[in-house]
Amino acid sequence: MVSYKYSDKGTVIHRLNPWCKLAWIAAVFVLALLFDSPVYLLLLSLSTLPVILAAKIWKEWLSVMRFAFFLCLLIIVINALVSNQGSHVLYQFPVAIPIVGAPRITLEGILWGIGNSLRLLAIISAFTVLMFAIHPDDLMLAMVKAKLPYKSVMVTSLSTKFVPALIDDAQCIADAKKSRGLELDRGGRIQRVKSYASIAIPLLSNSLDRAVQVAEAMEARAFGSGEKRTFYKELKLGKVDITILSFVFPSIAFGVFLRCLGQGGYQYYPVVEAVSLTASEWAMLFVLLLLVNAMPILALLKRKVSLD
Amino acid sequence: MISIRNLTFYYSGGDKPSLRDINLEIEDGEFVLLTGPSGGGKSSLCRCLNGLIPHFYGGKITGKVEVNGLDVTKHSTRELATMVGMVFQDPENQLVAMDVDSELAFGLENLAFAKEVIARRIEEALDTVGIVNLRHRATSELSGGEKQRVAIASVLALYPDILVLDEPTSELDPKGAEDVLNVVERLNDELGITVILVEHRLDRVVAHSDRVIVLENGMIIADGGPRSILSDGRVSQSGVGIPPIIKLAQAVKSRGMSLRVKRSNLIDDTPLTVKEGRIALAKTLRHSKPCASRHSELFSPVIASETKQSHLKPLIEVKNLWHGYPDGFVAVKGINLKVCPGEFVAIMGRNASGKTTLVKHFNGLLKPTKGDVILDDINTKEATVAELSRKVGYVFQNPNDHLFCDTVEEELTFTLNNLEVKGGEAKPLINQTLERFDLMQYRYQYPRFLSGGEKQRVALASILVAQPQVIILDEPTRGMEYRLKAELMRFLDQYRIDGRAVILVTQDVEMVAEFSDRVVLLSEGKIVVDGPKREVLSRALLFSPQINRLAQALKSYGVPDNILTADEMIEALA
Repeated sequence: MVSYKYSDKGTVIHRLNPWCKLAWIAAVFVLALLFDSPVYLLLLSLSTLPVILAAKIWKEWLSVMRFAFFLCLLIIVINALVSNQGSHVLYQFPVAIPIVGAPRITLEGILWGIGNSLRLLAIISAFTVLMFAIHPDDLMLAMVKAKLPYKSVMVTSLSTKFVPALIDDAQCIADAKKSRGLELDRGGRIQRVKSYASIAIPLLSNSLDRAVQVAEAMEARAFGSGEKRTFYKELKLGKVDITILSFVFPSIAFGVFLRCLGQGGYQYYPVVEAVSLTASEWAMLFVLLLLVNAMPILALLKRKVSLD
Repeated sequence: MISIRNLTFYYSGGDKPSLRDINLEIEDGEFVLLTGPSGGGKSSLCRCLNGLIPHFYGGKITGKVEVNGLDVTKHSTRELATMVGMVFQDPENQLVAMDVDSELAFGLENLAFAKEVIARRIEEALDTVGIVNLRHRATSELSGGEKQRVAIASVLALYPDILVLDEPTSELDPKGAEDVLNVVERLNDELGITVILVEHRLDRVVAHSDRVIVLENGMIIADGGPRSILSDGRVSQSGVGIPPIIKLAQAVKSRGMSLRVKRSNLIDDTPLTVKEGRIALAKTLRHSKPCASRHSELFSPVIASETKQSHLKPLIEVKNLWHGYPDGFVAVKGINLKVCPGEFVAIMGRNASGKTTLVKHFNGLLKPTKGDVILDDINTKEATVAELSRKVGYVFQNPNDHLFCDTVEEELTFTLNNLEVKGGEAKPLINQTLERFDLMQYRYQYPRFLSGGEKQRVALASILVAQPQVIILDEPTRGMEYRLKAELMRFLDQYRIDGRAVILVTQDVEMVAEFSDRVVLLSEGKIVVDGPKREVLSRALLFSPQINRLAQALKSYGVPDNILTADEMIEALA
C-alpha cells in the first residue's frame, strides 16, 4: 500500500529549498507546453526520472503513473475515435455513431494522442515531486513568501492534512452501514444513489463537526484576528540553492529561445512528419535538459562536498 | 485567578440556558475536577474561560467572567491564549501542523514571537511534558496519548497560568490516559499551574484534586473537597460515577462499622486511593472477627452459569485465524476461540493488540488471511457482510457513523429494509424496539440532534431491531458517563439470555468486572488468557479493578482475593 502523504525521506532532494523544486517543476511544466516534438517531450519526461530516483519516491511515483497511463490511454482512444483528420486511414467504421459520425481511425490521430500523452506524463511526473518531496510546511511558507494570504494558504494546507482522516472516516461509516445489511452495489440506479447517500450524509456532518473542532482549537491558540505573525521555520537560500535556481530559470528562457528558432515544433496533421533532428538541434536539446536537471546533479554534488 | 459571577449562557438558537447562574472562584494553583452528566454544561463552562464563548460561539451571555482580572467578553481569545491554555477531547482534531516542533510553534507564531524566543519555548515545553523524543516526529504518526501530550505542550509554550482540559483522556487507552494525567499532575505540583480537568472516570484523578465541582443542567450542584463531595448522596444520584472504593467505604460505614483513614489531621474519613482504603479496612478488620471462609465458595472461580455453556453448540467458532493487512502488518496470529449462546464475552487488550481486527471477522467485515470463522454453520468467507448481518449485529464506537436518516424510526426501517423485512412484519418489531430503548418519544425526531446517550441508544436500536443472535460492540463505553454505561451494560446482560451472545471490545476494567462473565485478553495478535472474569481479572496487574487490588491486600484477613466489585466486597465483609 502506498500512502499518498508526504513523508520525510531525508534525501538531498527533500533537503533542498522548496523554491528550487518549485522552479524545477515550473520549468518542466513550461517546457512541456512549449514543445510539440515527441522526441523533446519523451526526453523531457525521462529527464524527470533522476529527480524521482534521487528523492526515493519511486513507489509513490509508480502508483501515480499507473493512474496517469490509464488517463493517457483514454486520451489516445478518444482522440483516435473523434479526430477524423489525418491521411493514413487505418480503419473506417462502417456504421455512424450519433454526434461523432462514422469514426475514421488514422495513424495521425493515434500519434497525436501518444505525443500529447508524453506531454502529460512529463507534467504529472514533475508534480509528484511537489506532492511527495516538498514538506507541506515548506510549501506553505513559500506560498506565504510569495505574498499569498496566510489564512488561505493555511486552510489549503489543513484541508490536505485531513484527507487521510476523511478516508478513514468514510471507511468506518461504510463498514457501519454494511453491518446493517446494506449492499452498496445492489439494486437499480436510484437505490444505489440512496445507498451512497447513507455514507455521504454522515461523512459530511462528521466533517463539519471536525471543522468546528479544529477551528476552535486553533482559535484557542491565538490563530486569526492578529495582524502580524512570525514564522519559526525559515527558508534558507544556500549557495547551492542559488546556483540551482540560476540554472533552472535560464532553462525556461533557453527553451523559449530554441522554440523561437523553430526547434522542437512538430505537425501531426494532415500528414505525420518525419522526426529528424540536426546535430546542432540535438546539442541544443542536450544543453536544455542539462540545465533543467542542474537540480539533481548539484544536489548530489552538494552532498558529496558536505560529506568530505 | 478565575472569578465568575452570575454567569448565564444560551447558545444561539437554544431556548434552554446551557449555563445558569454560575458563581465560582478558582484560586491560583488549584487542581479542580469538573464532572457531571453529559450535556450538563462542563464544556460550555470551559469555553467561557478563554473567551471561545462568546467570541467563537456567539450566543447570549450575562454575568461576568474574569480571568486574571480581565473580562473575557471584552478581551479576545487571542489575548486570553497566554493565560488560559485549552486542551480538547479529540486528539485528532486539535493538531494542525505536520511535525511536533511546528505544532508547538503554531501558537507562538500566531502571537508574533521572535524566532529565538520560539526556539527556547519549544525546548522548554518539550522538556516539561517529557516528549523531547517526539520532537521531529510527524504528528499523524503519534499515538493518541502522545498526541494529547503534544497538545498540552503546544499550549504550555504560551506560558499559561491556567490549563483547562476538556475530557482529555476519553479517547485514549488506559496507558495513554495514564501518561497524560501524570503530566497534568506534575504541571500542577511542580509549576503551580491551575488545572481545570473535565473527567468522567474519577477513580484515577480524584486523589490528586483539591476540589470537585459537579455540573448538572447548567448549574453547579456540588462544589467542595473530593472526600465530602463524593460521599454526598445527591452527587451519586446525578449519575456521577463514584469510584468503587468510595462506594465501598460508604457501605461499610452505613453498616455501622467505623472507618479510619490514616490521616490524623483529617476529620474526613473517605478513602480516595487503594492505599488509603487498604489501611482503613485493615484497621477495621483487625478489630472485628475475621471473615468466615464460607465466602470462598461464593467467589470460587467457576460459577454455575459459566460452565454450562460448554455443552452448547457454539455460535461463533474461530479456527486458527490469521489476518495480515496489505501494508504487511499481521494483526491476528493464529487465534482459536468459541463463543456459545448465553455468553457475555469481553475482549480486552492494549491498543493495536488485534481486538478490533478479530471481531471484524465475526460479521465478515474482514475475511481471514488464513484459517476460518464459522458462524452458525456458515463460513464467513462464503457470505457477504449483509447476509451475515442477519445473525451478527455490529455496533461501532461512534454513533454518528451509524446515523443518517431523517427520523429515529427511519433508522430502524433502514436496517429492516436491507434485510428485506417489510411492512406487516416490520411494524411490531420497530415498535417493540423503540419501546425497549425508551425511544418512543423521539420517534419522529432527527437522530443527530439527540444527546450523546440517546444517539447511542438509537444506534443500538438500529442494530438490534434485526434481532441478531450475536451482538458485537466496539468500545461502546469510551467517554461515556457512568449512568449511561451501567444502563447499557444491564441491557446487554439481559439481551444474551435467550440463547444469544454479547461480545464487547473494551478497555474498561471496572465495567467488565461488574457485568461480563468471560474475558479474552489479547496481546500482539494472540490470546494470552481466556477464562472466567474472576480468574483473569484478579491477580492481574494492569487489568485488575480497583477493588480487587484492595482485596488482594486484605487476604490475610480472610477476604477472598478474587473479589472484583464493591458489591461483592460488601457481601464478603458482611
